[in-house]
Amino acid sequence: MAELDDIIHQPLRLKIMAALNALPAATGLEFSRLKKLTGATDGNLGAHIETLAKAGYVQVDKAFVGKKPQTMVTATAAGRGAFARHVATLQEIIAGKQS
Amino acid sequence: MIDSREASAALADIDDIVQRVKQSQLYELASLAAVWWGMLVFAGNLVTWLWPIHAAYTWVAVDVVGVGGLVALRVFNPPHHPHGAAHSIRILLVFVLFFAFGYLCTNVVGHFGPRQLGAFWPLYFMLFYTLAGLWFGHAFVAIGLGISALTLIGFFYIGEAFPLWMAFVNGGGLILGGLWMRRI
Repeated sequence: MAELDDIIHQPLRLKIMAALNALPAATGLEFSRLKKLTGATDGNLGAHIETLAKAGYVQVDKAFVGKKPQTMVTATAAGRGAFARHVATLQEIIAGKQS
Repeated sequence: MIDSREASAALADIDDIVQRVKQSQLYELASLAAVWWGMLVFAGNLVTWLWPIHAAYTWVAVDVVGVGGLVALRVFNPPHHPHGAAHSIRILLVFVLFFAFGYLCTNVVGHFGPRQLGAFWPLYFMLFYTLAGLWFGHAFVAIGLGISALTLIGFFYIGEAFPLWMAFVNGGGLILGGLWMRRI
């Protein structure tokens, strides 16, 4: 029986992973765009991205574009796999295979 | 463990964010296309106002360069679905049909003068923009209706300076609309 992934299950982290998984592999989202998409504050989003990064679910790349710092967040292969399993578990719960 | 109601809510959140990401990506591409066409249309109208004798060649050049730019945009931002090539061909066909139907209306069925042409093409283009917006996002509808309304105001109330009006309304409108899309 599949288990829900505790790291992904938190609502904001679920949104972050859903947004990153909607992109093709190896394509990331800039922090500011992720913030706009999820409606999170800077601090909150940063803390949850860090949790996901520690779990190996996302990769964070910091760079300078011109003089502006840019933080790019990308889902890793492990993160995509974990997200797919998490979604499958949610679907199983709805289908009544788990409770 | 959560119940099925909570699981449904989580899946709905996922669907919602996926739609937002797709729309954001679409707006980003559409924004580049709008700014590109906006600059060309601005230049085309300015040339039409300053040197009306060169207007016909200018607009052919604007259309060719405009479509070329869109093709380049597509090449550098390839679609990520399995039927990408077929999709690109369909988009190219849309442009061919768009220009063919416009030409049929303005030169075969009717014989439009410069002023009528200056109003018809933006209105025709914005009709598609507005229709696309019904499926792809409210920004297209707002830009389409806004530019159409200003085009009609210019057509009925602006005299000799109509091409200059259209440079700012159509060209400037597309540039501003494109930049606005990036901020949504």
